[in-house]
Amino acid sequence: MNRFAVGVRSNVRTFLRTPLNVVLALVLPLVVIEGWGQAMAGLPSMPTVEAIPLDLGRVLGAIFGVAIIAGLMGLVQMISAREADRRLVQTGYSPRTLLATRLATLAGVTIVVAGVNFGVLWLTVEPEAPLLVFAFLALAGVVYAFLGALVGAVLPRLFEGSLVVVFLAMMDAFLSGDSPLAADVPDFVQYFPLYHPKELLQSAVFDGTFAAGDLAFVGGYVLVLLVLVTAVFGATMRTSGGWSA
Amino acid sequence: METTTAPTETVGESKTLVRGNALEKTYGSRLPLGRSTPVLTGADIEVRAGEIVGIVGENGSGKSTLMKILVGVLDHDVGTVERTGTIGWCPQEPLLYDRLTVSETFRLFGAGYGMSREEIDAAKRRLADELDFERYLDYRVDQLSGGNRQKVNLSIALMHDPDVLMLDEPYTGFDWETYLRFWDMAQDLADDGTAVVMISHLIEERSRLDRVFEVRDGLVHDVTDEETVSELRSDREGDDE
Repeated sequence: MNRFAVGVRSNVRTFLRTPLNVVLALVLPLVVIEGWGQAMAGLPSMPTVEAIPLDLGRVLGAIFGVAIIAGLMGLVQMISAREADRRLVQTGYSPRTLLATRLATLAGVTIVVAGVNFGVLWLTVEPEAPLLVFAFLALAGVVYAFLGALVGAVLPRLFEGSLVVVFLAMMDAFLSGDSPLAADVPDFVQYFPLYHPKELLQSAVFDGTFAAGDLAFVGGYVLVLLVLVTAVFGATMRTSGGWSA
Repeated sequence: METTTAPTETVGESKTLVRGNALEKTYGSRLPLGRSTPVLTGADIEVRAGEIVGIVGENGSGKSTLMKILVGVLDHDVGTVERTGTIGWCPQEPLLYDRLTVSETFRLFGAGYGMSREEIDAAKRRLADELDFERYLDYRVDQLSGGNRQKVNLSIALMHDPDVLMLDEPYTGFDWETYLRFWDMAQDLADDGTAVVMISHLIEERSRLDRVFEVRDGLVHDVTDEETVSELRSDREGDDE
């Protein structure tokens, strides 16, 4: 039997049979998008940003909502069954195949979560380029899914790992966003995981365009995260002998 | 640390399938002032085809550590491990995926072993029948009782007909009937040439073992011929007569 296909099916079943995952993926977007929008609605408009604070808040809420759910899913995927994973690797799964099943599942779930966020955003903001908006939300989600997976591989504890992911996503969304509360942020913020996805999303929502440089940066970011998570996961799953036939 | 999968030599009629030489293992702390605990300090062991080997020892003596090293799920610091053939490992705590059903668990691990769908289904039917858990095949692992979960845990180790079976107290939670059936299975496997290695705490079981190793002070001692084992053997032989 195809190990990759069986692994992905098992991961998807595990995800769907965890009700909290499904509820979070479906309910959180509405809460976060509208909550973030209303939180920024009372702020004054900024001279350099044409969008009204309410819509800008909703866009930031959407990207934060995708990022935090995808990040937590990535974390949980990596640490929920670490010892069972080790046994599975010993049966014959290579760590790379096992990781590939996890990341493929994560990417699929992230696309669904991005779709829900996109739906809410479409109803409330009416973006200029809907397809691009969906694609960039999914891209932001993939960045955080892989980041969550990396955190899970390095720090295999649910509580501590969740704190890292949640704190990072909140700080990232806040500093990367064009909020008057986060004006004059330092230059290094442009290296934060959500900075360029946010630029892409904002352009797609309000102008219907995007900058190729931002897209390339995000692509590179995903690649680097992929290399790091593969290396760390491979190291943690390294054992001295498989026993498959 | 060295591990090979090259075949080892034949001793008498039996081929040596697993051998650990001068194994050392210390659990260290990642913190600068943390304590490190030496568990194995030069353990030697070999397991031959067709025998049932018991590993005994006090709590914390290093039995599970030794087995994990022999299986290959734990790295050793010093020494060598040689293995040949396929290995089935039944850990003390069931290492399974809670949200998958029993049938899905067989498929996932069967795919890992490189088995076809037909082989997996056949193994599932055979083991579910032998260990009496057919009616739970569509239950999720987290919905099973401890005993049934342990049956699945054991079945995953057995499903690919391994050459060496490594069992870490595999009968925890078994009822008496299942316990007896388990020993029948172990004996049948040994008769067919499978090497069965088992961590055990029960003195009663010594009479069922071909050889007994005790892990003590970081070393492995062959205690097969010690009094208790001999007496139990002769008792059993007397009963059989």
